[in-house]
Amino acid sequence: MNQTDRPIANPLVVLREEFDDWAVLFNPDTAEAVGTNPVGVAVWKRMDGKRSLADIVSEIKTSFEDMPEAACQEITSFVDRLAGSGFAGLELERK
Amino acid sequence: MSGELKDEKAPEMPKVMRSPRNLDIELTARCNLRCRYCYFFNNPAVEYRDLPADEWLKFFDELGSLGVMSLTLAGGEPFIREDLPLLLEGIIRNHMRFSFLSNGTLITDKIAAFIAGTGRCEHVQISIDGSCAAVHDTCRGKGSFEGAVRGIRTLQRHGIKVAVRVTIHRNNVHDLENTAHFLLNELGLPNFSTNAAGYMGTCCKNADDLLLSTAERKEAMATLLRLSTKYPGRISSNAGPLTDARMWGRMEEARGKGEPAFHNGGRLTACGCPSTKISVRADGTIVPCNMLSHIELGHINQDGLAKIWEDSPALNQLRNRHTIPLTGFEFCSGCDYTAYCTGNCPGLAYSITGTVDHPSPDACLRRFLAEGGSIP
Repeated sequence: MNQTDRPIANPLVVLREEFDDWAVLFNPDTAEAVGTNPVGVAVWKRMDGKRSLADIVSEIKTSFEDMPEAACQEITSFVDRLAGSGFAGLELERK
Repeated sequence: MSGELKDEKAPEMPKVMRSPRNLDIELTARCNLRCRYCYFFNNPAVEYRDLPADEWLKFFDELGSLGVMSLTLAGGEPFIREDLPLLLEGIIRNHMRFSFLSNGTLITDKIAAFIAGTGRCEHVQISIDGSCAAVHDTCRGKGSFEGAVRGIRTLQRHGIKVAVRVTIHRNNVHDLENTAHFLLNELGLPNFSTNAAGYMGTCCKNADDLLLSTAERKEAMATLLRLSTKYPGRISSNAGPLTDARMWGRMEEARGKGEPAFHNGGRLTACGCPSTKISVRADGTIVPCNMLSHIELGHINQDGLAKIWEDSPALNQLRNRHTIPLTGFEFCSGCDYTAYCTGNCPGLAYSITGTVDHPSPDACLRRFLAEGGSIP
C-alpha cells in the first residue's frame, strides 16, 4: 500500500494543553515530548488521516489571524518533525 | 546592604499546569518490612487501608482523560500487590508511564518480565542502605539486603533501569565509601542517589538512634563530596548531606562575599511540587504530597481531580507558600543566611514544628553551625 499525503496523529500520543496556550505532545512509549503553540495544537487536532496537509494549512490560515507567509512551510516542517519522531504518520491508501 | 532582598513585593503565584503531570500513588498500605526510619508508617493522620483494583483502575481512567504523563508507584511496598499486572495494564491503557519506589525484596522474574514487556517503566528505585547485610539490615530487618540485591539483579537481567537510593543514618554513615564501591563497581549501577533519615513517621520513635548527629552529618557531607569527586556525576541528591554540603557551601560563600539574595532566597520557596504533581494515599485520599499526607484534599472517584487541582484552597495555599518571607519568622530572626535560604521541605517542617508554613529546622545552616558543625 502507498502512503497518502494525509497526516495522522499517533493515537498513543497525549496532548497536554498547559498554560498560556502552551502545549505538550507526549509519547508514553518513548517518553519523548514536543512543546508547541496554539497553531501546533490546531494542526495536531486536524491530523485525522482524512485531511491532506494542504487542507490543514488552508484551515489554519482561515482560523488564525495574521498568519505569516511562511506558515505553510512552518506547518509542513512541524508535521515532518512529528512524523520523523514517531508522533505521527501518513495515512495509507485504502483500496 | 548586601544580602538583603531588594524587592520586598511578594512574587506572583507560579503558573500551574491545567492538570498534574505526575502523581505519586501509594498503591498499598502493606509492606513486608518494618524499616526503623520509614516515613510512611506510624503517621497518626493516615488510615492504613488498601483499595480494590477496580477503584484504582477507574481513577487511572480519569488520569488518562486529564493527560497525566506518569505515575510513581509506592506504598507500603508496591510489589506486595498480587494484582499489580492488572493495575499496570490500567496505567498503560491510559497512555501513562510509571516508576516504582520499592525495597526490592519481592521482585520476581515473572513481574520483572511483565514490567519490561510494557516498555513504559521509567525506573524502579530500590533502597540500599549499606555495602553488606550487617549494615543494611540494621534498620530494614534480617534478610532485607539479600532480597534487595536479588531484586536489583533481577531487574538488571530484564533490562529495567534501576535507581538506587541510599538513606543515610547513624548506622551506615561510616559505610558510605564501601556502599559507593558496592553499588557502582560491584553491582555496576551507573549512579545512585542519597538522602538522610528524617524526623517523620516511624523515625520519630527512633530518632535518637538514627538521626545523624552534627558530627555525623559533617562526616557524611565531607565523605559524599569526596566520593562525588571520585565518581564524577554518579552520586546525586535532592536532600540530605550531599545537598546540604553543596547548598550550604554556596550560601556561606554568598554571605562571605556579600552577594545579593539568591533569586529563590528569603522566602519559603523550596518546594515547587504542588505546581506539577499531587499524591494519593493507599486509602484513596488525595493529598498534596506523601510528606504532607495529613492535608486531605478529597477522595479518588468521589471528588474530581481536575477540580481539586484548580480550586482546592489548601493546595493553593501551599502554592502560595513561596510568598512567605523568612524574615517574618522568629526562628530566622537575625540570621545572616536568610537571603540565601529557601526554608526547605514543608513536610519536614510540619513534622518537626507542627506548622507547614515554617522553615524546616533540620535544614537550618545557622543552627548546624551553632551546634558545632562546619561546611567541608
